[in-house]
Amino acid sequence: MVGKVALRALVSALLLACILLSLGTGRVWLDPAVLFGAIFEPKPSLPWLILSELRIPRTILGLLVGASLGLSGAVLQGLLRNPLAEPGLLGVSAGAALGAVIAIYFGLSATFALATPVLGIAGAMMAAALTLSIGRGGTLTMILAGAAVSGLMGAGLSLALNFAPNPSAAYEITIWLLGSLENRDWGQVLLVAPFILIGWLCLALTVRDIDALTLGEAQAESLGVNIARTRWLALAGTALAVGAATAVTGSVGFIGLIAPHLVRPFVGHQPSRVLLPSALFGAILLLFADVATRVIPTAGQEVRLGVLTSIVGAPFFFWLVLKLRRMSP
Amino acid sequence: MAMAVTLVAGVTVAASGRPAQRVAAALPAKPQRIMSTNMCSDLLLLMLVPKERIASVTYLAHDAVEVLMPGADDGVPVNRGAAEEVVQQQPDLILASPWSTPVMRRLAAKVGAPVVEIDSANSFADIRRITRQIGALVGEPERAEALVAGMDRKLAQLERQRPARPIEVVAWSAGDFVPGAGTLTDDIIRAAGAVNLAAQLPDESSSSFGIEELLVARPDSIMRGQTDYSEPSLQDAMSEHPVVRTAFKGRRITYPVFLHTCGLPQSADSAVQLHDALAKLPEGGVAW
Repeated sequence: MVGKVALRALVSALLLACILLSLGTGRVWLDPAVLFGAIFEPKPSLPWLILSELRIPRTILGLLVGASLGLSGAVLQGLLRNPLAEPGLLGVSAGAALGAVIAIYFGLSATFALATPVLGIAGAMMAAALTLSIGRGGTLTMILAGAAVSGLMGAGLSLALNFAPNPSAAYEITIWLLGSLENRDWGQVLLVAPFILIGWLCLALTVRDIDALTLGEAQAESLGVNIARTRWLALAGTALAVGAATAVTGSVGFIGLIAPHLVRPFVGHQPSRVLLPSALFGAILLLFADVATRVIPTAGQEVRLGVLTSIVGAPFFFWLVLKLRRMSP
Repeated sequence: MAMAVTLVAGVTVAASGRPAQRVAAALPAKPQRIMSTNMCSDLLLLMLVPKERIASVTYLAHDAVEVLMPGADDGVPVNRGAAEEVVQQQPDLILASPWSTPVMRRLAAKVGAPVVEIDSANSFADIRRITRQIGALVGEPERAEALVAGMDRKLAQLERQRPARPIEVVAWSAGDFVPGAGTLTDDIIRAAGAVNLAAQLPDESSSSFGIEELLVARPDSIMRGQTDYSEPSLQDAMSEHPVVRTAFKGRRITYPVFLHTCGLPQSADSAVQLHDALAKLPEGGVAW
């Protein structure tokens, strides 16, 4: 195990590096000195517009979304005692996407800006509740329930696409679902930040109980853990954080799965100690992936964030399944 | 097959004293039941022939018709480009797009209706060619010539009013694609006396233009495509990005998308509108 101080320094350095990279890269290359200088020069100037209106909100959103995914992944894996648990696998992301798509395409978000995050959260909450209630009983049932709920939400998305009033909606929904932080603005950051922060609070409140849950539900209850409350907090927290995040970025998969696994070798397997590092690592991974989408040269469209995380995340998932197979009898 | 044609278009063909069609897909000189399965030819068809001679136009045409020539499609049946409708409507000429379904084409051959593919227009030269082509097909060459002449008058007028300083514009509706060189939009921009910045991009006809690139390009004006679909879309949300709104305050021009996607004689009007709108831009370049 690496020394605590060294680990903290490493994580902080990585996070800072990712933030600076995210502010420094874009479709247009601007000298970092010029960007930095723009802060003190008369406004508005071109670098200042790009920095303040495009790159800073994008970076903040990346931090919020990445940390939400990492944190909820860690809490769900602890709560369910299941290394494959993740908002995406439990159908939460699909539910959030469904809610957001309904809000965007049926004109609700145009008349009422809060509609997108609120419906995203409602969709996420519904999906999470469904998975958690029908999937109780073990790893396999939970994963199956997650697949079923994802399928159901996917069907709902297809239906929304089918009936979308705008003819170009089908194309737009498909692209939007691939996930992206491109061209987001301060309005969107401020819109979802409160929901995400409340979600984090709910998730953080589970910190003591998920340690006791490693012994099993009955044992945890005998230790005085209110399981219903813990489960409800985890569910609400995930739905709030991931639902709101998905509402502005589209689906971004696998970050919630990978982040806890990456930090466990360093901090040990006690669930409560995984939470904060996992959130930070989620943010690092997401920012890094988002920088990559901007740097990878493409002819037209940027590589979408969700596509990139899936390309990297899916092999990791395979590896995890193989590892579990070796471990299980 | 030849019998089928005579039966369908029978009455009028016989009345005009023409002999029965030689082959199934032969073109009648003055078709009486014209079906269009291509939104752009829908509009030209409605301009060229009386309603009675139109079997159907696509369901897509209505919104554009309401803007261009309100009421012109009242009572004209609507199709969805489906193969079955060909059998049902028994047209004697089908104006199709190059992307019409093979099934429809096969069926059209079976019922003996000639299918003519109408290209999409990418320039004013294409518009002249296509308008004349459809005019000839439907037996109304004089009306087609009149439409082309009207368009050319407007273009010549614009040519005389060319602004001294070339104004740089980008047709930027959202983050996705901007029309570059070799598109009708590019030709319309040129006709209006402006320069399409996107035409200088390395990619050929359309390319991607992010907000950052848009800011760096510093166009004098950005043109925003306006569809007649009032339904909300993500695209609208994105072109409303606050930085675009503030950086190009008073420099955003809207244009009707269908006059750019469909090459019509009225596309010249779009160039005139653009010219007038550009004349009202604030002096000098962007402030930042």
